[in-house]
Amino acid sequence: MKTEELTTEQRLEIITNMIGQAKQNFAKGGSFQILLWGWVIAAANLGHYALEKIGYEYPYAVWLIVIPAVVVSIVQSVNMRKNSPVKSHVDKVYGQIWLAAFIVFIIVLSFMNQLNFHHNPVILAIAGMGMYITGNLLRFRPVIFGAVVLWVGAVLAFNLPVAEQYLVGGISILIGYLVPGYLLKKEEN
Amino acid sequence: MSQFQPLDPLLHSQLRLAVMSLLIGVDSAEFTFIKEKTGATSGNLSVQLDKLEQAGYIEIEKSFKGKRPLTTCRITKHGINAFETYVENLKKYIE
Repeated sequence: MKTEELTTEQRLEIITNMIGQAKQNFAKGGSFQILLWGWVIAAANLGHYALEKIGYEYPYAVWLIVIPAVVVSIVQSVNMRKNSPVKSHVDKVYGQIWLAAFIVFIIVLSFMNQLNFHHNPVILAIAGMGMYITGNLLRFRPVIFGAVVLWVGAVLAFNLPVAEQYLVGGISILIGYLVPGYLLKKEEN
Repeated sequence: MSQFQPLDPLLHSQLRLAVMSLLIGVDSAEFTFIKEKTGATSGNLSVQLDKLEQAGYIEIEKSFKGKRPLTTCRITKHGINAFETYVENLKKYIE
């Protein structure tokens, strides 16, 4: 870049151009987390529903797949942050929202017996909130659409018996997480 | 003419202005990222970053990524104020 005298318009063009360059780097790779959790939670919900229907004694054992998913999720987040040549404010907020959501999930799941095991719709509603904020931060409408699907799922699930809530939960996650997740991945590429 | 405030001479340089414009939109950025986005040479960029750091507009953190040295830059509050004032003054020139 040269240091010659610039006009006001050229200065404004530099500022606009550079701010645009910084914006393009927001939250790339965010689709990995949405897809990881989409597949894991959908599989756990549908697995729980199927195992309960066939009369398996411990259908909740399927939720153990969440443990390796947490490890993979943390490792990927740390690596992404470490290897990214630029850290945006949006990426920071994005991570904080999902960390907060994760803490709320743990609290809700710890007291599921006090909720008469109607925790699934609560989880869907909170996940919907996370997706809504994420979609707005990324300015990506399919993620906002995913949030609406999760909220509709939460309302439906609240009106169904606990066993059926797993089916609604699984389908809501498939549509509300995986569809926007794959569209986001396509957009990132 | 009195409504026109003099523009900050430190942001008079095209490269320093580009660096500040880039850093205003991010939390932090590595040297290689700034170099790629501004299209500057390593030598020139180093000199201009030092000037911005000396003025207190940016913070430069030197560390290591594996065995390779890593330079990370971040805009300071003073730098944000200077940049905002610069843009405000610039606007007056086109109004």
